[in-house]
Amino acid sequence: MGGRKTRPYNNRVKGTDMSIEIVSVSKNFGQFAALDNVSLTVPSGELVALLGPSGSGKTTLLRIIAGLETPDGGKILFNGEEATDRHVRERQVGFVFQHYALFRHMTVFDNVAFGLTVKPRKERPGKAGIRDKVHELLRLIQLENLADRYPSQLSGGQRQRVALARALAVEPQVLLLDEPFGALDAKVRVELRRWLRRLHDEIHVTSVFVTHDQEEALEVADRIVVMNGGRIEQEGTPGEVYDRPATPFVFNFLGNVNLFHGRVHNGLARLGGMELASPEHAATTDSPAVGYVRSHDIEVERLPSDSSAVAAEVRHVHTVGPLVRVELLLSESGETVEAELSRDVADRLRLKTGETVFARPRKLKVFAGDYQI
Amino acid sequence: MNLSLKKHSVLPGFGPTLGYTVFYLSLIVLIPLSALIFKTAGLTWGEFVATVTAPRVVASYRVTFGAALLAAAVNAVFGVLVAWVLVRYRFPGKRLFDALVDLPFALPTAVAGITLATVYSGGGWIGRYLEPHGIKVAYTPLGILVAMVFIGLPFVVRTVQPVLEELDAEIEEAAACLGANRWQTFSRVLFPTLLPSLLTGFALAFARAVGEYGSIIFIAGNMPMVSEITPLLIITKLEQYDFAGATAIASVMLLASFIVLLTVNLLQKWSRRFAE
Repeated sequence: MGGRKTRPYNNRVKGTDMSIEIVSVSKNFGQFAALDNVSLTVPSGELVALLGPSGSGKTTLLRIIAGLETPDGGKILFNGEEATDRHVRERQVGFVFQHYALFRHMTVFDNVAFGLTVKPRKERPGKAGIRDKVHELLRLIQLENLADRYPSQLSGGQRQRVALARALAVEPQVLLLDEPFGALDAKVRVELRRWLRRLHDEIHVTSVFVTHDQEEALEVADRIVVMNGGRIEQEGTPGEVYDRPATPFVFNFLGNVNLFHGRVHNGLARLGGMELASPEHAATTDSPAVGYVRSHDIEVERLPSDSSAVAAEVRHVHTVGPLVRVELLLSESGETVEAELSRDVADRLRLKTGETVFARPRKLKVFAGDYQI
Repeated sequence: MNLSLKKHSVLPGFGPTLGYTVFYLSLIVLIPLSALIFKTAGLTWGEFVATVTAPRVVASYRVTFGAALLAAAVNAVFGVLVAWVLVRYRFPGKRLFDALVDLPFALPTAVAGITLATVYSGGGWIGRYLEPHGIKVAYTPLGILVAMVFIGLPFVVRTVQPVLEELDAEIEEAAACLGANRWQTFSRVLFPTLLPSLLTGFALAFARAVGEYGSIIFIAGNMPMVSEITPLLIITKLEQYDFAGATAIASVMLLASFIVLLTVNLLQKWSRRFAE
């Protein structure tokens, strides 16, 4: 996909200079607070992911930006202009739904052309203009030869691309995608999200997409907004969010994680039998603490290389494709941790169930206090 | 010799169920209908043509099929409206209204006919307000139309309603995001989706109206050449022991209804061309 150099938006990027500002937006559904005083700025031309588990309010936020839902409190600004009460029709947003929402009685061509044909007569391009525009978009999504098909004759990935072309046809100021790859199978999903990234690099329309798949967000987005329980947990580039999680929730949500329970005192943490320096908690005195380590940051060694290595018993060894997951029982604390090793490291260690090894966290983040996730 | 030519399907009982279906349809539909044709065959071609093209008979075709088509059309429009209101809005008494829609199904046709005739006659509840404006309903062809609309209403509502209920709200949201106004969303997106079920409802309402006898004879006035329906003419022939004449007219009705239903079916197939 994406080999050809088609740049239909090349000289038209002017109109798509658009930032979105969300100012203390709240939304309740009955007793349930879907959004609780959320503020966020989406810079112009960026591709931002709203990442969170289901029920975290990410879709509600997206629908409020689109105008499909009205906030109970707060404001939405498009380019600094208040848009809270602007009708969906006038917001000039392109919205892509998880289940495509294509018009099934229309051909691919008519679906893509729809937004152009419903324009008021004086703004509407002529028949030839519409045809050119639609074919240009079909070229962009590489479905030019399927213009006469009906949605029911397309695969899921093709349908979603048609839905995207349909949204782009009206040259929206903002592109909003609600779990756009959620209904697709794993391989198509990866293909399509890379294609979306390339497309965005070409057309630079301010885009927000909702996902619960951390891998998708990390791979595609310029910025990630992690949401939980109607609030924003952390916001930043994929690197920031992954490497410096601000809260235990973010740590836990992005990738496989192991917990070591213990206490922290004057910059020294004792967690699950190991002892390590925790300079950011230098001022904390005798507080409960939890250490978070990603599975791939646990090193398994035959001999302890320093004081942070703890003895552990190998319980299970699973080989999952290129990775080997080792379940370890920490001898001192009785906690179970999972280490993720690459195939060659595992081959060198030749681990057997029941033997004792040493587990050493390469990178560990300590959160003091009684965190619940 | 191995005779296992037949394919085994996952679902059991294909043979018995198909056999039963054919047997049942023959018993209930095909045999009586073929008896109709058989009886008609007692007439010579000339007699047959003379019977079915007599001016009074032709006038009755016009009244019956004309009124039935018109009634089905009226029901198509207002049936969609009723279904729309029942599906889209919440209001007190909604369940009651929903149940009321089925009433024409259940009411004995004679009761419906007598009631309509009373209400729409010169002194009736509705008739007394129409009469001063020169609109006579009872005992005119208009009365036939009213009765046909009454008995045909549930068909359109009940065929359109489930489709409307299953329409995804996202479809309308997608249309709105693309800049379509309410009317464009309805005419370009919703209506084409409803059309197949609407045509089914139309066909059923039409078929019911053509075959209706009980309620119409009470309100129609039954004036030859003006407000006499074909089913009544058939009964009249039967009462005169003209069995061959009655079946001749009946077979013409049968053919005409079949053609109309076939046309509607083809239209329906065309309107569903996208669902493969």
